[in-house]
Amino acid sequence: MPDELGQHRAALTELLLSIADDKLMLGHRNADWTGLAPILEEDIAFSALAQDDIAHAGALFDLLADWNDDDANRLAFGRQPDEYRCAALVTLSDEFDWAVALVRQFCCDHFDQLRLARLAASSLQPLADLAARMAREEALGVGHADQWIVRLSGATAEARQRVESALRIVLPLTPGLFEEPAGVAELEACGLYPGSTDQMHGQWCEMVSNVLEHAGLPATLPPRSGEAGGRRGRHPAEFPGLLDEMCEVYRSEPQAQW
Amino acid sequence: MRTTERDIRSVLALVRDPEMPISIVDLGLVERVTLEPDRDSGRHATIDLLPTFVGCPALDMIRAEVSDRVGDLPEITRVTVNFLHRPGWSPDRITPAGRAELKAHGVTVPEAGCGGTSTAAQPELVGLTVAGQAPPVPCPYCDSDETECESRFGPTRCRMIFYCRACRNSFEHLKPI
Repeated sequence: MPDELGQHRAALTELLLSIADDKLMLGHRNADWTGLAPILEEDIAFSALAQDDIAHAGALFDLLADWNDDDANRLAFGRQPDEYRCAALVTLSDEFDWAVALVRQFCCDHFDQLRLARLAASSLQPLADLAARMAREEALGVGHADQWIVRLSGATAEARQRVESALRIVLPLTPGLFEEPAGVAELEACGLYPGSTDQMHGQWCEMVSNVLEHAGLPATLPPRSGEAGGRRGRHPAEFPGLLDEMCEVYRSEPQAQW
Repeated sequence: MRTTERDIRSVLALVRDPEMPISIVDLGLVERVTLEPDRDSGRHATIDLLPTFVGCPALDMIRAEVSDRVGDLPEITRVTVNFLHRPGWSPDRITPAGRAELKAHGVTVPEAGCGGTSTAAQPELVGLTVAGQAPPVPCPYCDSDETECESRFGPTRCRMIFYCRACRNSFEHLKPI
């Protein structure tokens, strides 16, 4: 980490871990659809989205490992459950209901695109460059989700009902995405992470509402919540089990070179 | 014989992207080549490359082959390969020779200036680009414009799948990013 950032090391680490952990866990969930999606094109699409999310997480873990003299694989797979900073929505089990996976992706990708756009305006140039690149890739995921929400809402009654019921499951968890990582205020003040969570939440509501209205699926989006959750390491009861599954191979031989 | 930047670019032209039938030079991955003095009157070559996608799984293979080939040149005692994200790679960087070679392999490239759908600084409020709005993509086999996008995601992160209704062939199209 560049010397002048020393005083912001802890806050910057918390922020980047929240982004990387969201992407790692969402990528892990989406990878479940490889071979199982309803049509071949979506099999490829979800696999590709998972590949992007896990790669973005990997690039951020590499950066953090470099700054904090750590190891990217340990960061990804070798932490205790309460050391992860992901929001509850990214770890939500879709129970192999593709509509839930799609709506989860829709909410998370819109959020990620806004978060990466903020980071792309960071005063820390290498981080800003990487974020700008990731934001462009994220746009492909956003476009994919938007199209499917609109397409399914205009298809059969069953398709529409499935999207509606997925929205009822997913939307209540979206405030957790906006829980602020510890120390984010100092990063906003010094230009490392310009903007504010309130502003980002407003933009997210506008973007998500626009698509839902276009799809004829008006929904009331929940307000921000002050509750402490994933960004403080407080996860749903199923989280340790999910982590055990994801980290099984790594734990079998932590020193292995991949 | 002193190795020049030109010599390095010549060997880079021999490195093929493992997922594309063209060299990394024609693909536009090479951003900068620099040579500096190294210990024992050797020279240190630094190659700055631009990944097509952050998650391109071919990056490690490309890095290894670049290191090997450049490291074999006379006087080169050290090789550093960097992957940079600024400027971002786009299909605009593919050379005319690269475009021709890709077309011969049934892969088309978006017209120059056909950048990404949204920029980091100004995300579009709604990215509703439902099929039919994009300019036609001519078939690499028969040049017909009667083509359609079958899947926005393809065999690699940088390619989509198209179908030509005229000659009934599938082909691949690079993503505008």
